[in-house]
Parts: sequence; structure tokens; C-alpha cells
Amino acid sequence: MVSSKKEPRRISALVAVLVAAAALALGLAACGGGGGGIEGGGETEAAEKVKLEGKPSGELTISNWPLYIDKKTVPDFEKASGVSVKYIEDINSNEEFFNKMQPLLGQGESGGRSIFVLADYMVTKMHKLGYLQEFDKAGLPEVEKNLVASLQHPAFDPNRDYTAPWQSGMTGVIVNKETAPNVKSVCDLFESQYKGKVDFLNEVRETVPLVMKCEGVDPNEATEADWMKAIEKIKGAADSGQIRRFTGNDYARDLTSGDAVAVIGWSGDAVQLQEDNPDLEWRMPTEGCMLWSEDMVIPIGAPNPTAAEAFMNYVYEPEVQANIAEYVNYVTPVEGVKEVLAKRDPELAKNQLIFPSASFTKNCSATPVFKSEEEEQKVIKAFDSVLNG
Amino acid sequence: MSSLRRRLSPYFLLGPGTIWLIVFFVVPLYFMAKLSLESGAVGSLEFDWNWSNYSEALSEYDTQFVRSFVYAGAATLLALVIAYPLAYAIAFKAGRWRNVMLFAVVAPFFTTYLIRTIAWETILSDESPVTEFLHAVGLAPSGHILATSWAVIAGLTYNFLPFMILPIYASLERIDVRLIEAGKDLYASAAQTFLRVTLPLSAPGVVAGTLLTFIPAAGDYVNAQFLGGAGNRMIGNVIQSLYLSQADYPSAAALSFVLMALIMIAVVIYIRFAGSEALMGEDTV
Repeated sequence: MVSSKKEPRRISALVAVLVAAAALALGLAACGGGGGGIEGGGETEAAEKVKLEGKPSGELTISNWPLYIDKKTVPDFEKASGVSVKYIEDINSNEEFFNKMQPLLGQGESGGRSIFVLADYMVTKMHKLGYLQEFDKAGLPEVEKNLVASLQHPAFDPNRDYTAPWQSGMTGVIVNKETAPNVKSVCDLFESQYKGKVDFLNEVRETVPLVMKCEGVDPNEATEADWMKAIEKIKGAADSGQIRRFTGNDYARDLTSGDAVAVIGWSGDAVQLQEDNPDLEWRMPTEGCMLWSEDMVIPIGAPNPTAAEAFMNYVYEPEVQANIAEYVNYVTPVEGVKEVLAKRDPELAKNQLIFPSASFTKNCSATPVFKSEEEEQKVIKAFDSVLNG
Repeated sequence: MSSLRRRLSPYFLLGPGTIWLIVFFVVPLYFMAKLSLESGAVGSLEFDWNWSNYSEALSEYDTQFVRSFVYAGAATLLALVIAYPLAYAIAFKAGRWRNVMLFAVVAPFFTTYLIRTIAWETILSDESPVTEFLHAVGLAPSGHILATSWAVIAGLTYNFLPFMILPIYASLERIDVRLIEAGKDLYASAAQTFLRVTLPLSAPGVVAGTLLTFIPAAGDYVNAQFLGGAGNRMIGNVIQSLYLSQADYPSAAALSFVLMALIMIAVVIYIRFAGSEALMGEDTV
């Protein structure tokens, strides 16, 4: 404690120090104002375009999701191209990554990164904000040649001017065959016998549309009322304890420990989970699945776009892509991989989760697009309030 | 010259701490205050004294506020019940094992907080012996502990327990045993001596320990994230999701201020009630 011998002079000196400190703080605050603010960014600017400069060299930084590439591709690319790659797995959620990067992107910087891998809807949003560069297709001959037909002309980027798919996949149900043999649809997840043993994904664009499909609503024709009704149904199941918890990839833990017997989950994960527990399998819900893809993009301000395009081009070589497909087990966007894998591992080449046939995915829906920003915000807010219980 | 130096030296000593506090507390606090009064979406935030961020934050997330305080309160109480006898044993009964026991209290800190919390996922997992035992004796009627309030409270209690034990131990250890002997000499029973002598003398440790446990526990979000389920989110989780997934910075900032204010009010009331002398240990002897 402060001693009782307080001299007035000392107090005034203390006050002076505090005033000085406050002034300094305000000064710093004023300096920081520019950097800390969040700017809308280049909405009005014309889209930047990649300028290729000779042979790829130098350094390249790539941001991707965890466990989304095999161990060979990056070192092989480094050897083949002479580019040194910093590959960071720092994307865990589209929203979180976007919100982390936006202050930089708003100022035309990419945080040193030259490639991001993000979902279709997120790259669409970033493109609208002027945060992405258009490709110079002269650097992407393999992409031009090998991109599968079904992904060549998506509505958000009809000519693939600024996106190249990394992997596609399906969202459906992952079940434990032993403990939940009868779960065949999203509707089945609401059965009371699985109370407290079911996880739902915390992704609004996947979980809510799947529940809509259970209700018989086509997510791509859904009105705001349909969204809200599905969210209400999920809320009811969360409040009653039917849904154990909302997860991302961490449903894997609940499934392997037996805490969950059925979850809404991604197709590629199931193949990897089977190695831990052969009873786990991904099932195509009777209502159909959600189809999504994630794209490589080059952000504005990206250093070394030449090397970035070289890498994108490299992973579109069927031999290289086969290594990735073998490891991640998602739906590959590259033509010719099936033939490569058929020689290496015929079983894998027949796997519907990696090479789904048209009839297998006939009831599946694409990630829905919101009709307006207001609707999007309302829906996200409603879903988040369910997540936050 | 030397007198000037002597007069200035306290400020030099305060310097590093003050600068630290300004750069990493005052400045961020100023930004947060400003942010909490802005309106609009990210990209077009405008400062316009938008106080409705506060009223909306409070009315929309009152459940999570109440929940956070209930969880933190329960964890603090549990930690006190566990910590006091333990600290007492270490201070008075441990003998030469005292240092070993103190080390055992601190040892978990050698592992990161996150890993320790995730370890509890395994401990409380549905098919773990702990859960099966609790189920068998009727303490887990739904068959699971993980992903319920109880798991969150257990995690909070475990994680903040050392912050309760150490201050209580420190105040017990300082007690002059002659005072306890005097109590016995004056024909007080063991219980009376404890209640009239030991307990009041250890009050500063109890007050400090409860504050060190309650304050971080109320703002915690890691335990609810890993050990909680649907419907167990605390206010920290809401703030995190507002910042990172909804990008609603103003509401998140407003919530943070409300949380800070509520904790401060709770602490002030508590100290009034417990007596600030108890906290500061002014009249321990």
C-alpha cells in the first residue's frame, strides 16, 4: 500500500505524469487511426490483372486450409520450378480469414500471401470488393486444358477469369455404422433415439440448406422465410439437447471417441476418418447433398504473381493432382486424374466420393446465393444466435 | 543533483510499466470505446455516438451474460471448496512435502492452457470411466457430461484452481502459529480456533483468490468452446463470433465494455462486502 507520508508536490508530479501519459496515448491513437480503420477498399477501381514476368523464381507464400495437400507436391514444385514456397495452413473458416485479411486488402496489401484458397461465395464477395486479381491465362495452360467441364463456367466467374478450383466436395452425413446404422438422411438426425449424439456443422451455407432439403425445400429457390423456418428447426433441436454441439472439422474427435454417432460432415474427411475407425462412413443423404468447391485466387498486392500462377498450373498436371487427390480424398477438379489413379490404386479410382458419377449427385444442390445483402445478414445473424445458444 | 535523482527515480521505475499499460491497454481501450459507438457494416463504419449498440447488445445477449456469471460463480465456489483444505494442508500439515506439493499445484502450467482444456474432452468423454462412474451413481442422468454446463464449470474450476490455491496458501503460511496456540490456551475448541483465528487471518487470500478466479472465468471462452455443447456458450464466445464470423465490430466492442463494467460492479460490491482491508491485508496482525 501507498505509505501515508504523501507530499502534495509528489501528487502533482504524479498528475503531471498521468496527463503526459494520456496525451501520449491520444497522440498514438491519432497515429494509429489510419492503420486501424477499416476501409471499403477498391470497389471503384478496375480489377487488377496479373502481370507475368519471365520465368517463375523467388519466393511464394500460399494460405490454405489444414490437411488440404499431400506432403510431396510442395517440395516437388520447389524442385521443378526453383521457387521457394512458404505454405501456411492458416485458414480455418472463410469468414474468419476474410475478416482477418480485410484491413490489409482494403489498403491493397495481401499480407505477403500470393494465393488464398476460399469457398466460391467468399471469392465472389472478394471479387466484388476489388480484392482479387484477374489471371493472365498465358501462365495457366494446364488449367485451361485440364479443368473438368462441370466447373468451367460457374455463374460467379463464367470464364474462370480470377478463380481456379482447388478441390470440390460434398456435404452430407457421416455415420457410425455400428451405433447409427439407420441414419440415411438429414431428417434422421432429428430422431430422438440419437439425442445428444448428433453434431451439426457451424456453416450456415451448408447446415441450413441441408435442413431445408429435409423439409422438402430447394435451397436455391428458398425465400427468407424458408431460411428462418429451417433455422428455427435447428434451434429447436439445439435447445432440446438433440444436437450435441456445433462443430467445424472437430466433429472428427466426437466421431472417433464415440461421443457422436452421426454428424453433418464433409466427404473427404470420412475417407480419412475410416483409417481410424472403419465403422465410420459418409452417406449421401436421401434428400441429396450440398456441393461446394474452393478456389485458388490471387489477392491484390500479391508478391510474385508469376510464381503463383506457376504453382496453380503445376497442381493441374494430372500426375501431381493425383498425389493430392490420393491424400485429401475430395472431389478433384482435374481431368485425367482418374486414369492416373486407376493405374496406382484401382479401388480409389472407383470411389464415388472422389469421382462421383452424375447419378450419384443428382439430388445435390449448389451452395445457395443470397438474394440481397440484407437477407444474407439477417440469416447469418439468426444462425449465429443459434450457435451462441 | 542527487536529490533530484532520488525524486525522479520512482518515475523511472514506473516508466516501463506505464508505457506498457498505455500502449497495450489505454490505446486499445480508446479504440474499442470509439468502435463501440460506431454504426454501419465493416468497410463503411462511421462514428456517430451510436449508443444503441449497448442497449441491443444487452437485450440480445442477456442470456449469455447471466450464463457466464453463473458458470464463473459456480467455478469460483467449487475452486474455493477444493482449494482451501488443500492450501491448509500444504501450509500446516505437509511438513517436508510442502515444496513438492506446491510444485504439483504449479506443474500443470508447464503445459499450455489449451492442451489442458482439450485433455478434459477425453477425461469427460461419454465412454470414459469418469462419465460411466458418474452415470452409475446417478450424477449424469443424460448419459453425458461433455457438452453440458457441468463440463464447462468443471473445466473452469480446474483451469483456475491454482489461482485460488496460491493466494490462500500465501496468507495461511504467513499466520503466526502462536496466535493459534493462544486460542487453544484460552480453551477454544479446534473449530472455534479455526473460525475465530485462522479463517479471518486467511481472508485476504480468500478474497484475492476468488477475484483471480472469478474475473478470468467470467470472460473465458475456451472452456465453453471445447467442453460445452449447443446452449453452453458464454459471453466470450459471443464476442469472438461477433468479431470474427459476423464482423460486427461495434456490437462486439460494446459487449466487451458491458462485460468489463459488469465485472467491475461485481468486484466493487464484493470488496465492499468483504472489506478492502481483507484484500489488502492491512490489519492481518
